[in-house]
Amino acid sequence: MADKLRTQQQLEALQNKYIGTGHADTTKHEWTSNIARDSYASFQGHPPLLHYMSIGMGQGVERTRVHCMESMVLPCGPAPATEEG
Amino acid sequence: MANVQQTQAFYSLTLSPSSAPTCAITCNSIPGLKNQDQQIFEARGSRIYLYYIRENGDKSEVKLETVVDQDCFGIIRGVTSFRIPGTSTDQLVISSDSGRIALVNYDQAKNAFQRVHLETFGKSGIRRTVPGQYLAADPRGRCCMLASAEKNKVVYIVNRNPQNEIVISSPHEANSWANLCFAICALDTGWEHPVFAALEVDYNESESDSSGAMFAAREKQLVYYTVDLGLNHVVKSWSDAVDYTANMLFGVPGGQDGPSGVLICCEGRIYYRHDKASSLCIPIPRRSGPTEDPNRKRIIVSGCLHLSRARHEFFFLLQTEDGDLFKLTMELGEDAQGRKTTPVRMVMKYYDTFPIAKTMLLIRKGYIYIAAENGNSKLYHVNDLAENLEFEAHNNFSSDDVSSDPAEDYTPTYFKPRGLEFTSLAFDVPGLHPLMRTKVDNLTNEDAPQIYALQGTGSSSVFKTIRHGLEIQEVVSSPLGEMPYDNVFSLKHRSSDPYHSYLLLSTQYSDRTTVLSIGDEVETMEDSPFLITRATVEARLMGADTLVQVHARGVHSILESGAVNDWPAPEHRTITAASANERQLLLGLSSSELAFFFMGDDGVLNQLEDMPEMSGKITALGVGQTPEGQQQAKFAVVGCDDDTIRVLSIELDSPLEARSVQALSAAPTSIQVISQIDPSSGTNVNYVHIGLASGLYLRAVIDEITGELGEVRTKFLGARPTRLFPVELEDQQSVLACSSRPWLGYNHPNSGLYTLTPLVTDGAPFTAATGFVTEAIRGLCAVQGDSLLIFVVPNVEGRLASQEVGLRYTPRGMSRNLWFPVWYVVQADGNTLSAGTKKRLLTAATDAAKDGEGDEGMNGQENGEESMAMEKHLGLSRGKGHWASCIQAIDPITSKSVISTIELEENEAALCCTVVNFETKNADLYLAVGTGQHMSPGAKVPGAQTPKGYVHLYHLPDDGKKMVFVHKTEFAVPIYAVHPFQGRLAVGVGRELFIYDIGLKALLRKSRGLVVPNQIVSIQSKGFRIAVADVSESVTFVVFKPSPHNRLIPFADDTISRWTTSTTLLDYETVAGGDKFGNLFVLRVPDQASKESDDTGVGGYLADERSYLGGTPYRLELRSHFFANDIPMSLQRTALVTGGQEVVFWSGLEGTLGILVPFVAREDVEFFTQLEKQIREAEPPLAGRDHLMFRGYYVPVKGVVDGDLCERYLKLGYDARVRIAQEVDREVKEVERKVLEMRTRVAF
Repeated sequence: MADKLRTQQQLEALQNKYIGTGHADTTKHEWTSNIARDSYASFQGHPPLLHYMSIGMGQGVERTRVHCMESMVLPCGPAPATEEG
Repeated sequence: MANVQQTQAFYSLTLSPSSAPTCAITCNSIPGLKNQDQQIFEARGSRIYLYYIRENGDKSEVKLETVVDQDCFGIIRGVTSFRIPGTSTDQLVISSDSGRIALVNYDQAKNAFQRVHLETFGKSGIRRTVPGQYLAADPRGRCCMLASAEKNKVVYIVNRNPQNEIVISSPHEANSWANLCFAICALDTGWEHPVFAALEVDYNESESDSSGAMFAAREKQLVYYTVDLGLNHVVKSWSDAVDYTANMLFGVPGGQDGPSGVLICCEGRIYYRHDKASSLCIPIPRRSGPTEDPNRKRIIVSGCLHLSRARHEFFFLLQTEDGDLFKLTMELGEDAQGRKTTPVRMVMKYYDTFPIAKTMLLIRKGYIYIAAENGNSKLYHVNDLAENLEFEAHNNFSSDDVSSDPAEDYTPTYFKPRGLEFTSLAFDVPGLHPLMRTKVDNLTNEDAPQIYALQGTGSSSVFKTIRHGLEIQEVVSSPLGEMPYDNVFSLKHRSSDPYHSYLLLSTQYSDRTTVLSIGDEVETMEDSPFLITRATVEARLMGADTLVQVHARGVHSILESGAVNDWPAPEHRTITAASANERQLLLGLSSSELAFFFMGDDGVLNQLEDMPEMSGKITALGVGQTPEGQQQAKFAVVGCDDDTIRVLSIELDSPLEARSVQALSAAPTSIQVISQIDPSSGTNVNYVHIGLASGLYLRAVIDEITGELGEVRTKFLGARPTRLFPVELEDQQSVLACSSRPWLGYNHPNSGLYTLTPLVTDGAPFTAATGFVTEAIRGLCAVQGDSLLIFVVPNVEGRLASQEVGLRYTPRGMSRNLWFPVWYVVQADGNTLSAGTKKRLLTAATDAAKDGEGDEGMNGQENGEESMAMEKHLGLSRGKGHWASCIQAIDPITSKSVISTIELEENEAALCCTVVNFETKNADLYLAVGTGQHMSPGAKVPGAQTPKGYVHLYHLPDDGKKMVFVHKTEFAVPIYAVHPFQGRLAVGVGRELFIYDIGLKALLRKSRGLVVPNQIVSIQSKGFRIAVADVSESVTFVVFKPSPHNRLIPFADDTISRWTTSTTLLDYETVAGGDKFGNLFVLRVPDQASKESDDTGVGGYLADERSYLGGTPYRLELRSHFFANDIPMSLQRTALVTGGQEVVFWSGLEGTLGILVPFVAREDVEFFTQLEKQIREAEPPLAGRDHLMFRGYYVPVKGVVDGDLCERYLKLGYDARVRIAQEVDREVKEVERKVLEMRTRVAF
């Protein structure tokens, strides 16, 4: 039992420290949002990629960065309503 | 990982590193310079640079000089600098993908960056919760903050201890869950606790609310984080909601200098906010004009602060996304204590328009540095700070009557942009980004091929012809007449003279010498003391003031007094070669004998009686330079036609004693012994430079004691015999080697390495050259064909010379006419008004103006050229959902201009093109252009039509100079790839591959195959085999089975997703490609699949083979993989130098030019793998990223040795070099030679 508790605690610590660690009840929405946020953060962090996208979109790099940042707020729309029960 | 030994391994080298700046900062990091004398610390790709602004006395010449650059082998995300109180130089900080903060200093003694601290705060890699995305430093130099895109922030407090060491604290975290950070900046709080401001959005509630109401009501918060220096922690001290569109923050000076607080830059507006003061707001002025959308809001993309601590004055320069610069000043009111700390109003004044900056820096010496997002970075000289508000009063805007509530509307303000008024361009930093396409081709029949490149975005796009070489600035080029001169000498009259006085031109052909006098003008000298009836073999000023002229029949020496001494050559013998220094003269006679002279203080040449005979006819001689403060050089080198050179001692106590012999591959034609600085030891070493009849050039070191030759380096220069001429360039001894091209050998100012670079000259090769120093010019003089060329080499820092042809829009693709040197470039710009629309708007505006006021408004098309230049300066007019596009034919060789243009209408954008030679049309060439119509890049415009595609066909008559529209064929989706295939046209339509033939009214479909999962972006072919690249699913090999089957059968695809950008077939079975994440890869078809695909007909296995896991029957094998930190846009298998091996040449978006050199020998692979491993251990990358992890960012590096790392060997300290050399069982010199040769053998 103690082992199980410790595992549980460790998992919780992990979930706290690293966003997107996931748990047994991770929903599709959580998972996809998490992936999308990771991607948007990565686009911003790689200057060549951000530059590439900006040229494609015909706008400045800063605007593309803000766009990526803004998309991180709700990348896949709001969470679907959960059925109580 | 890197030790996986493949059948084929590559050596990756960067020819020109990425030029796109990531960020830059001003600093004072060179000790001993004045505070005014700021340097620029800049990050470009994975490299960091330190620049210094060098200006001459009257500031007429300004140069941005690279002090030092270093590869960090990591993705650099931010740099900053701050002055820790009590230290004498600025501390430089680098944030990279290493999950560590690196504090570095510039070490002047070693001319390198020196790491002070490296503190780990998170995982490596670019992750959304690992800080490093944002970096800000306290203006008083007490701490700095790193923030991530989401959640985490970390603050380091930095101090100086009594031992003058820099102490860094443990990290103080300020994390908040589900919190996105848009920007951070440091507040100026004077000497109170440091405060950092952040723009944050909390997404926790909006995510959990399924109705979307919380999302709609989300807020952006301005949050203050106070660093409590006493308690050693960071607390969130204040927060308030701000305009949701905010994207950038600037700290306003505080303490004695101003009110503190922040400027919040939002879409269309700028706010001033602070917890202790009332808010202010000012709209960002919009451009006015008939082609501008009056409702379009701008954002601020960069800015800088100017603060005069002495006068307590400050202002901001802020740049909008159009490039317009505004000067923002704040008027301050007095508070209760009479201090000017209450902001009353903000005033903005239109300043100038510059290229869009990634970072803009205001340098105290009076310059603005624009680290440009696209194209060359620029340094502008500030002529006026626009302090006079009366000047252009219509360009002043104030915050009066503007509500500081973001919810309230405001009246937009407008201005008209103009040319530069307050500044002037001082220096252009050459850059290649964004490099859209390159193609290596030799259109001019030069020795080495040229690189044709498409660069830039919008109206500043260019078609570039890039050559490896140094640009020269021609001063005079005057014809010499019929006489084929083959030698040129320039002499001073007296050794104490600063300038040259005589120029001797000699010709073997008619045995004559022409003497010119150098003064204000260069003119023929009628009564010169020189012998003009003979060809001059050597001419030189010896001793203090004796002019010595050696001709075939003797030595003619002219003393200062005018007296002439003649030494006749012995009977039946002529002088074939001669060389001299200040005191010693060595002659080679036709009888293979050597005659040696020494000049005494009286200026008389004393001959050595002994005349030793050499083994063969003497073809070249080289006497060492007289060492500083001594009378005689130790060695001379004699070259004979039996392909040998000998080193002789020429000291008076052991005259003409042989020291060593070296065999060569051909007869030497020219020898120079020059003392140059050895970069590894920093001392002067005697080098012998040898030019051979075969066009080879050799350089060897003469041992100071024994006279042995060592460290021989070889390079093939061209097809003509190499002749060498010593010249002085930027105060260093250099060699000009003339073969079919002139090459300059010099120690590179940045790397310190001996570099051989060709000079880019038009016309004939150089026959002879010499230094040329007058009051006005410090340059070179050369005989080029039948003219005399006087020129200067302005800059030896760069190694690429380029010529430009301006384009209209962002280039997307290019293709060369198969028979003529003409290129076709397709260009398209999204969200930009097309030329047609613009013209309509302008005409409408002019008409309206005419109706209203009669004559006025005549500014439209009348001054077309002027408006074109203005458009280049100001950029294209934007329009959401519009496309501007054109196709241009370019002649880069003769006219160096655009020779024909076709503008596309109806919202069409040209995306790709190829020249195709249809089988049915014989030698008639056609240009196929794939286009897209109504595309919506980025966000979709509401009400936009669904995108479509076309393939246009243009006939190319008149040597390809004209493009005649034939027809266009409609497709359901935009076309991203067209490729000529077996006398037909292969077109990628979405996920399908089509083969088309030309018809009368449209293209005729011949074959169709469903080959990739998503979208074809690149097609390459060899024979009947086609390599098709998908936008996200790597490369698929397809075989075409010709008539009667007419089938396209995909037979091999890849196991992992690669977001391919471009590909090239290396051979029939191998494809090399690059992806959007910056990887390079080489894939190969398995033997079995390759064989089966070549079976004739479709009767074989292939057609009936079952698909494997939903793909093709076979999988490609990964042969090599490498992370390049730049998006490869073009790849090509080509040779880059004369007689060089073929390499894989690639070019990246950020301006990188690189090569992958295939290893020939297995032992080389082992050697370099070992070396790479040793260097990795000996010198871990500066920013703390693990090198192997970096090169294996997405996929473990495979089959590639990082040559850039191997070249770090040359920069290591002596001990490290010795240790590594021992580890790899080689001598230090041998390792150095091998590393250098890997580059010089195949590239530059």
